[in-house]
Amino acid sequence: MAKPALILVGADKGGVGKTTVARTLLDYFAAHHVATRAFDSESPKGTLKRFHPDAAEIVDATVVADQMRIIDTLSTTESTVTIVDVRAGLLSPTLRALRDIGFLDAVKKGQITFLVFHILGSSITSLNEIEETAPFTADARYFLVKNFINNTSFFEWDQATHASYFKRLKDAQILTIPKLNEMAYEQVELASVPFLSFVANKNPKGETANYSFVLRGYFRHWLGNVWAEYDRVKLLDSFEASGSSAAAGSRAQAGNRT
Amino acid sequence: MPQQTPLYIVASQHPRVGKTLIARLLIEFLRISGRPLVGYDLDPREPTLAPFFPNMVWTIDIADTPGQMALFDRLIADHWRTTVIDLGYGLFEQFFTVMAEIGFEGEARRHSLEPIVLFVTDSAPTTARSYADLRRRLPETVFIPVQNEASSFMFIARDFPPTRPEYGMIRIPRLSPIVRGVIDRPGFSFATYMASQPGGPTEVHTWIQTIFTEFRDLELRLLVGQLQSSLGAIAREPTRPAQ
Repeated sequence: MAKPALILVGADKGGVGKTTVARTLLDYFAAHHVATRAFDSESPKGTLKRFHPDAAEIVDATVVADQMRIIDTLSTTESTVTIVDVRAGLLSPTLRALRDIGFLDAVKKGQITFLVFHILGSSITSLNEIEETAPFTADARYFLVKNFINNTSFFEWDQATHASYFKRLKDAQILTIPKLNEMAYEQVELASVPFLSFVANKNPKGETANYSFVLRGYFRHWLGNVWAEYDRVKLLDSFEASGSSAAAGSRAQAGNRT
Repeated sequence: MPQQTPLYIVASQHPRVGKTLIARLLIEFLRISGRPLVGYDLDPREPTLAPFFPNMVWTIDIADTPGQMALFDRLIADHWRTTVIDLGYGLFEQFFTVMAEIGFEGEARRHSLEPIVLFVTDSAPTTARSYADLRRRLPETVFIPVQNEASSFMFIARDFPPTRPEYGMIRIPRLSPIVRGVIDRPGFSFATYMASQPGGPTEVHTWIQTIFTEFRDLELRLLVGQLQSSLGAIAREPTRPAQ
């Protein structure tokens, strides 16, 4: 069985489209037949849960019992990948909690694959968050996600400041989520179905729906661009490379030799 | 093979090349056969086609998303209806960009709708480049070059190859300036004019007849092309393992 993987999708600030990114990941893994489960920490009523009622379970990541629900079941679940949509403002506290319970040590030992998607807003305050999360993400695949989904203006980032922050995260990879047509965004939200169902013109019951073809077209184009970003960073390799413990072991040996 | 419904897009990159006139002629030609027909005039500021066909040609502004939905969603819903779009230079680029981005060709194919661009040519070098560029961006769309002799006396065939060589082109002959005023009168109908020949055929009669014949020949060539490509697909199938 493949090594379990945990993906945190978070932002220290609300309203930067975190759940949308989590949803593109769920659909991406579904399309590539990677068994995935999701936890929504927008307790008590999560947005992820609304769109993926089968996949998403609501948890409160600040409660120990719920942490256990996620972490303790990682190795026993049927799913290879566990996605946790971390509530706005809780990314750093969650990372700290993961360190405290020894999760990060397990990652370091290569027992668990750990990925963090850090969704960035358009203002400079977002960059300060990177500094807070940096100490906890040394052994994770760390993605900084520039989210342009409902943004026409470019990031107001000063190049020098920008560079000084990104230098600190040498291994971080940058992902860009392009802008999505506002009406397509609105309709996909109203539709309350997974993105792929929306593209296929299906309602929550799986029947043929009546969504605008133009909006579905815009949306499919956008989703294609987002997935191309995941392809570009070879996201799936994170799970395939860790598929056999022998491969992980040989990597560890190679590390010892050098 | 299900019958394909044609979706004609009369397009030009430049103003004053007779695009609306060609759209008018095409609509009147198609109307004679009595098939379900609808037209769209995509120049909301100065609609020149719509006034000739009240209740048949609708003006739509595709500059924003609601307008794009009003057009493209309706094209798919009305896939059983032959459509003529008059696409002016103002929204030329926008139209084809949206068409490519939303994946219109694939959806049209699923609904047996065949987009056919009647591309009104001119001798500007940029026009040939944009023709080639459009054909690359929309590989499943049929492109037919149109030469309007009244606005462009040069036609360089190698600059404007049709999608299949046998599709050929459409040539609109020049009409004497004296009688030009006749056909531009508000409410003028080519078909009605053809039906009434009080003093024998005039230059306008011959001119309309020539163009209608061009359209009829094009329809036949397109039909033969469709049959050939579907027969070709059938014929290729059994031979493949032997090769």
